[in-house]
Amino acid sequence: MIVYILKRLASIALTFTVVSVIVFLMMHAVPGGPFDGNDMPVSDEVKAKLNASLGLDRPLYVQYFKYMWGVLHFDFGVPFQSPGETVLELLGRAWPPSLILGGAGVLIGAPLGILLGMAAALRRNTWVDYLASAFATLGLTIPVFVTSMLLILVFAVWLDWLPASGWGKPYSWVLPIVAYATIPLATYARYTRSAMLDVLNKPFVTVLRAKGLSERRIIFQHVLRNAALPMVTVFLPMFIGTATGSIFVEAMFRVPGLGAYFVSSINLRDYALEMALILMITMMFCVSYLISDILYALLNPRIRTGGRRG
Amino acid sequence: MRLLDVVNLTVSFVQHEGVVQAVRGMTLHLDAGESLGIVGESGSGKSVTCMAALRLLREPPAKIAADRLDLGGVDVLAARGRDLAALRGRVAAMIFQDPMTAFDPSFTIGHQIVETIQAHRATAKAQARAEAEALLRRVEIKNAGGVLDAYPHQLSGGMLQRAMIAMALSCQPQVLFADEPTTALDVTIQAQILQLIKELQAEMGMGLIMVTHDLGVVAETVDRVLVMYGGRAMEQGPVQKIFDAPLHPYTQALLASIPGRVAGRQRLVEIAGASPNPANPPKGCPFHPRCAVAEARCGVEAPAFQTVTAGRDAACWRLQ
Repeated sequence: MIVYILKRLASIALTFTVVSVIVFLMMHAVPGGPFDGNDMPVSDEVKAKLNASLGLDRPLYVQYFKYMWGVLHFDFGVPFQSPGETVLELLGRAWPPSLILGGAGVLIGAPLGILLGMAAALRRNTWVDYLASAFATLGLTIPVFVTSMLLILVFAVWLDWLPASGWGKPYSWVLPIVAYATIPLATYARYTRSAMLDVLNKPFVTVLRAKGLSERRIIFQHVLRNAALPMVTVFLPMFIGTATGSIFVEAMFRVPGLGAYFVSSINLRDYALEMALILMITMMFCVSYLISDILYALLNPRIRTGGRRG
Repeated sequence: MRLLDVVNLTVSFVQHEGVVQAVRGMTLHLDAGESLGIVGESGSGKSVTCMAALRLLREPPAKIAADRLDLGGVDVLAARGRDLAALRGRVAAMIFQDPMTAFDPSFTIGHQIVETIQAHRATAKAQARAEAEALLRRVEIKNAGGVLDAYPHQLSGGMLQRAMIAMALSCQPQVLFADEPTTALDVTIQAQILQLIKELQAEMGMGLIMVTHDLGVVAETVDRVLVMYGGRAMEQGPVQKIFDAPLHPYTQALLASIPGRVAGRQRLVEIAGASPNPANPPKGCPFHPRCAVAEARCGVEAPAFQTVTAGRDAACWRLQ
């Protein structure tokens, strides 16, 4: 197990390096630079000076190693679009709303989705199943900005219960969190339903019934335990959404989160911020998959004890 | 005492394409300590009959009806959730065809035997574990303690089927349903498992229902045989008598098709035609389209399953 984790950590380091090189090259392959915007035109001389002062006139590999050297010391540079602060300060300011929005969304949506999926699987081919499946399919197919608009229309405009936008007092968080929660809810409902049905159709469930176990024990101890295996692998990666926030939900509800910076950092050629955001997501993906795989191994005796038959 | 009493059992499955009739008016009974073999081709309804007796089929799509379906004196069709659970494993236990998929892969063998014991009897865990270990030793597992803590994927098919038998017997059931218990095993293991089942049946005085398509298995393990075809009982009687002098044309054809009963090299004998389609069974006797001695009325009306001589029943117009 220790060797396995060490191997995985090494492969994470490799992934991280490869992603950083590719993203860095792509970023600079896009024509234009941070001072080519039309709203504040600067002369070529000024532009050259600015580029020189930021080191953007140096060869790409020098820029890359300089940036990565900084990253290793937790220095992600200064965002060009907000030069008064460092990238880390910007993240510290913009991340919390995204974290609350996404975290609460997943923590509310996932359990509800699991319950909905369980109900659908246990009452398969009844109205409960059809209703749950229809709801889950709608949740996955209706774009989240449409859901957001509907929520604003009903709860802010018609009923006037909650503010239509903004991120102030906690009650203003409700609508964006609900809008965001529909995604994990729908995803989890579908996953749970199919994972449960898959297990319910296994021959060992018939054996458990033939032994005279109560239906409750069969479902809660045996079926859920086995259905949890495939679900563990999708649960943590879903939390990555909490880092990126939902660009659409944040835009619809004017939440001052990270989402907007993903777009603006690309549009404004804000190299330092762009790199920082992508490296951050890469790291979160790697770590969440590593934790998922470890959990999977712990839950699955076939991996934990090795696959020998004897 | 009648342990199992089934009269006119029908089992159908409602599907999109229509209704499939798996069992069409089965009648059978089993007395305490008796062993009965149910023989038939795939799709003849033998497994479904057993599953229906324990209400293990999902309803719907399955639909079970019978004039009588009593197990250990309990009306199975009237029983609900908790009553059924009390019946299963305790009054009647079942072992299945494929031991590799019969255990929950996430729990140890010990856990799965212990939970069976605890489901039916208020037993302390340590006590139940000791019983489980003794059971594993009884089914001739040498390393019983180790197997108790093993996960299903760590054991071979033969070992798992032994463990399965141990689990089925953990609550001293009065009837054991064995649904093709050796089909998925190596030939060398098959005889051992059959011998074990036979021994345990005698030792515990259980009733045994052995479902199989293998006439050799029947000859070795049971007292009485019931031959099924197309969801109906064709013939029933003591095993030796049926092998020596089969009454029903289907049983006669079946026995004639066993290779090597007559010495010398010869062409394999087969029964011409194919098994009836359960979604659209032939009218009358299900065997009449393949029967060498069929008469006109065989295709019109099904003959009743009735006594021919003492202890022997058959469903054939020629024997009425």
